[in-house]
Amino acid sequence: MERLMALAMMEIGETRTIQEFHGKEEVKRHLQDLGFVKGEKVQVVGENPSGMILLVKGVRIALNRGLASQIMVA
Amino acid sequence: MSYVIALAGNPNCGKTTLFNELTGSRQRVGNWPGVTVDKKEGTYKKNKEILIMDLPGTYSLSPYSAEEVIARDYIVMEKPDAVIDIVDATSIERNLYLTLQILETGIPTVIALNMMDEVEARGDKINAEKLSEILGVPVVPVTARKGKGVPELMAEAVETAKAKKAPKKLPIFDEKLDAAAAKIKEALDAAGEADSGWKAIKLLENDEKVAERVSAELKSQAERIVADSYGAGADLEAVIADQRYQYISRVVKDTVKKGRTGHVETRSDKADKILTNRILALPIFAVIMYLLFACTNSENFLFLGINSPGIWLAGVVETAWGWVTGLVEGLVGNASPWVYSLVIDGIMEGIGAVLGFLPLILVLYVLVSFLEDCGYMARVAFVLDRIFRRFGLSGRAFIPLLQGFGCSVPAVMATRTMESEKDRKITTILCGFMPCGAKLPIFALIVSTLFADSNQTAVTYSLYIFSIVVAIIVSLLLNKFVYKDETSNFIMELPQYRIPTVKTIAMHGWEKVKAYAQKAGTVIFVSTILIWFLSNFNIDSFNGNNAAANEDGSIMCEMDDSFMAGLGNVLAPIFKPQGFGEWRPAAAIVTGWIAKENVVVTFAQLYDEDVSPEYLEGYFSQYSPEELEELGFEGGTYDPEAAPDIYSESILFEGGDENALPTLHEDIPTKSAAYAYMVFNLLCMPCFAAVGAMKRELKTWKELGKAVGVQMLTAYVVSLLVNVIGGLFMN
Ligand SMILES: Nc1nc2c(ncn2[C@@H]2O[C@H](COP(=O)(O)OP(=O)(O)OP(=O)(O)O)[C@@H](O)[C@H]2O)c(=O)[nH]1
Ligand SMILES: [Mg+2]
Repeated sequence: MERLMALAMMEIGETRTIQEFHGKEEVKRHLQDLGFVKGEKVQVVGENPSGMILLVKGVRIALNRGLASQIMVA
Repeated sequence: MSYVIALAGNPNCGKTTLFNELTGSRQRVGNWPGVTVDKKEGTYKKNKEILIMDLPGTYSLSPYSAEEVIARDYIVMEKPDAVIDIVDATSIERNLYLTLQILETGIPTVIALNMMDEVEARGDKINAEKLSEILGVPVVPVTARKGKGVPELMAEAVETAKAKKAPKKLPIFDEKLDAAAAKIKEALDAAGEADSGWKAIKLLENDEKVAERVSAELKSQAERIVADSYGAGADLEAVIADQRYQYISRVVKDTVKKGRTGHVETRSDKADKILTNRILALPIFAVIMYLLFACTNSENFLFLGINSPGIWLAGVVETAWGWVTGLVEGLVGNASPWVYSLVIDGIMEGIGAVLGFLPLILVLYVLVSFLEDCGYMARVAFVLDRIFRRFGLSGRAFIPLLQGFGCSVPAVMATRTMESEKDRKITTILCGFMPCGAKLPIFALIVSTLFADSNQTAVTYSLYIFSIVVAIIVSLLLNKFVYKDETSNFIMELPQYRIPTVKTIAMHGWEKVKAYAQKAGTVIFVSTILIWFLSNFNIDSFNGNNAAANEDGSIMCEMDDSFMAGLGNVLAPIFKPQGFGEWRPAAAIVTGWIAKENVVVTFAQLYDEDVSPEYLEGYFSQYSPEELEELGFEGGTYDPEAAPDIYSESILFEGGDENALPTLHEDIPTKSAAYAYMVFNLLCMPCFAAVGAMKRELKTWKELGKAVGVQMLTAYVVSLLVNVIGGLFMN
């Protein structure tokens, strides 16, 4: 298996799978409700100084950079 | 027999669009998640027995932010007779996650597959019958925006409500989880808890709200059951979410046929490449904001040398109002002096001062609702997140703050969508600093009177910038010294860009006009009379002293002796350092707390009197006979009869317009004081309606007191600085 890396390090167009979340419990739950579950595919479709735009389950979701670096992907 | 049917679903799935279609109401629709922040009841157009409840959107029944709590509590505690679960069919997988949770509650449910027009446009096919078979509840494809499928949906919903049939249990979870849930359910049943099945799952999910509601005994029992099969402290939340999503994947595989496989770059993706571009995003935003204000409030529209649409329309309204006033003047011409005074100087003058601004607000509002409906708002919030974060706020705060340019009440309510309490409190305070539509007349009046020889548009713009700069500084200070929690993360779904319908925009515009007319006809109308009364009467009006003293027996008094003067004189000394420490400006600030429009209403009434025969004679004495002739005095001789008309029709003084109050500079003598006066009104406590909204969001009187205290203090200090520092170079 590939090494884990932070979602924030991914590049535009790249697709990986979600593995872990290192952050507050209620944020984790909210992310799960939005489709960020372990093993789910996530694609980076946009990026700017605020953070990244991700495609999860066919929905575009914007996250700030700090949060994106708490999500680990493989 | 009447039924209550609730509309539930993810944010931005079209609940309010459907609600409006069903009830004929005009609730706010917008293309970003979190438009509706409160529940709203209506009756079904075609059957008055049926109540429809619009709810805020939510991603799950374990809520994250305050408006999601409202939705959850309504569904779970108030128990509608049926729920219409609206699913955005373009992102069916994510939307069904909430559906499964709604089905678990056991409330009779109908699923509406919304946005079918977009699904079809993509070439996808959804087998609604099969989906209904699998989930065990009716599934109706609809296009809420066009009303397509809505009658069929309602027929199903009414049937379902009447049948009171709870949805069947679905094979979502594996045996181990089901077994654990069954054991907890047993324990809950034994303790006589209602909704045991749903609560059992929520306890497994570690839902704090549900855990709080059951006894400590039951809670620890549930923990033991989890520990028995999964080990102590096991985190089942992720397991449950995972199993739900896996179940959904299987369902979707059986029922949805994609027209194209894989992710195809859509129009929205292309638009996002530009609008959220790392370099272009902010300049584009700045240009859009500039255009917004240029269309509204510019006398040199896009440097074309013409008035902006807003100013042009304002001129039309003003002319019309002048005509109406003329008619009314004819009617009351022979009435007693106090009736004439009340109707013409009080009501017509006061309302007219406010009505002229309706077009500006309307134009601004229509443009903003275009931005809201096309899907740009969510992007701006995201793009600004980085900047806002430096000031200790999340980009989400942009949405309430922009709404604050229209009106503080919905702005303050919109703070609910932010999950951190600190962000909510700070944004609530900052909303009060925004130049809302009602403050516009204050700026216009002061600028046209006291900045008559300056670039008036620039002065007005500078106030907008000023409000933003103050908001930034106050946010930084509050973050540093008062509210020290963490800033919330930015998590927001970016909706599809959609072309706004003429209908929604016209609807928003119309609602705004209606609300404004209502306000002018109620709060402002009553305030106008109150202000007139306070400004023309005093104690001696009612003990016969005035009647005895006045030649014509009138009980009215000189304004300088009125109740209003009494109030103003108490406050005036406080504002000495700001340069406007006179009773009239001070009293106007107070009337502004009832409604900000009252400031100009008060000015219009209090200063109108100054244009007396003596004043006019003095004013025209500066002109030579030739000039007098040119102004319209026959033969070049001063004529007191013709003077008022010529005065109000001619240019009053260099650059001033017909709204200007020539004697205002006696009370507010310098430009720095005038700017300070505008700044004080801009930043001080908002109107009572907004304070009421603040109380609802902040909950306690103590927090409200703190927030209003911050606003007052900011207003006082900043206006003082403006007068002192501005005095060095402005005057
Ligand atoms: N194409 C299409 N767009 C729709 C349809 N129904 C709603 N919309 C659009 O979807 C967006 C969201 O609609 P709303 O009715 O505000 O959604 P909501 O569920 O009330 O949203 P929140 O109050 O934020 O939870 C708006 O831009 C609507 O115009 C539809 O059937 N087809
Ligand atoms: Mg809504």
